[in-house]
Amino acid sequence: MPIDDTVYAYSVARIKAIETRLLDQGQFDRMINASSSEEAFKVLTESGYAGAAAELTDIHNFESILAAELKDTFDMVMKIGPYPELIGMLALRYDIHNLKVLFKAKFLGIKSDLLIPVGTHELDKLEHAVNEGDYRYLQEKLRRAVGKITEEFLLNRDPQVIDLNLDRILYEQMIYAARENNSSFLEDLFIRQVDLINLKTLIRVKRMGLTRDFLKTALLPHGSIRVDRLTIMIDEPLESLISMLAISDYAELVSEGVREWLDKGSASLLEKLSDDYITNHLKQGRRVTFGIEPLVGYLWAKEIEIKNIRIVLVGKINKLPAEAIRERIRNV
Amino acid sequence: MEGIEIALLGAALAVGFAGSGSAIGIGIVGQSAAGLISEDPDKFGQTLLLQALPGTQGIYGLLTGFLIMQNVGVIGDETVTITTSQGYAFLMASLPIAIAGLSSGIYQGRVLSSTINLIAKRPEEMGKGIVYAVMVETYAVFALLATVLILFGIDL
Repeated sequence: MPIDDTVYAYSVARIKAIETRLLDQGQFDRMINASSSEEAFKVLTESGYAGAAAELTDIHNFESILAAELKDTFDMVMKIGPYPELIGMLALRYDIHNLKVLFKAKFLGIKSDLLIPVGTHELDKLEHAVNEGDYRYLQEKLRRAVGKITEEFLLNRDPQVIDLNLDRILYEQMIYAARENNSSFLEDLFIRQVDLINLKTLIRVKRMGLTRDFLKTALLPHGSIRVDRLTIMIDEPLESLISMLAISDYAELVSEGVREWLDKGSASLLEKLSDDYITNHLKQGRRVTFGIEPLVGYLWAKEIEIKNIRIVLVGKINKLPAEAIRERIRNV
Repeated sequence: MEGIEIALLGAALAVGFAGSGSAIGIGIVGQSAAGLISEDPDKFGQTLLLQALPGTQGIYGLLTGFLIMQNVGVIGDETVTITTSQGYAFLMASLPIAIAGLSSGIYQGRVLSSTINLIAKRPEEMGKGIVYAVMVETYAVFALLATVLILFGIDL
């Protein structure tokens, strides 16, 4: 963190003004209660998305609007904030996402157009790197991880090495960068995200009946819940996971989310509660006047907003009942 | 140093430090205000008022400077001889507003930056934000009071 924290004065005030334009619960309610997907989409044309939404001819292409919005948001926050490299750390998530998509396309032949134009590397550079096997344009740490993936995949043809290695390098990089910049706020945020991912991994691995050794390789290091405490849980019933975490920050989300997962076999509530947990955590930081917290909080709020729009529109296009959509929607 | 020089050092400290407090404070609020205005230009009037508030410390410092200069005969027609001990008394008199002016100007600016963030969302609550800033002002006023009391207590 900088010695003079007032360098954040401009960007935080600007974010406060921009924040007022985020979609609120009322607007999401109107979208959910709309009679058709077109009707729901109309709410967007009356909001901050108006410009792009007006040009969209086919509602099924709404993803392009969301991707553009996400890119604009990251670009804007990077431009107005004093330390763009810290915001870049949050964009690294999208580099990793894009690499996953590209590697799966290359190794597994899964054609996918879900590349997101947000991230610290340009898309064509990533494409070039993966397709040509020429990694010199990648960040050093990323280069090593990517080389390892290629090696391991050619060795045993296991597609999981892609996700596992990339997730690992992502969180290692983010936590390392947060420490390097002495940002305890970001480090704490990333540690919580690692914890939530690890909890989901544990439950998923358990339900799939995979081995303890596999779990060990799948869990991410650096979380606040130690990896060996989690690996023990593979032989225990999930109830003991709930009691193990009963006095932790994650008590409520684990007990509600896991129970639902056990009852209905769906992870969607746990996913929602995990997002809500991070939202709540970041809301406290959004009151800071001089610091990166409101910037990070806004980026997260925008990501959640985009996620919610996607949930509602996909639900509306598939004619899901309003209640089913409402259950999945994240708190704003 | 002769008495007059010591007294003028006091005047310089009062104007310089209290003025710096104001300059830093106004600078911080200005950055916040610019951030808000780039998204919401209609709030210019409100932000201008908020930005002006940390200016008072500089005025108190300047006032003190003038009082000292007048007393020692730098401005005005009177010719006065200032002894070394009188000179030190003027220097002491300048310290309260110099010190408290510097710190209260900066911290008032920080409070007002928060107020700018407050009116970004709730412009109707500006008054409450100003009250918080006025709390900081109290201590600049106390300092000025002490400075003035000492000044008037100096036997010439």
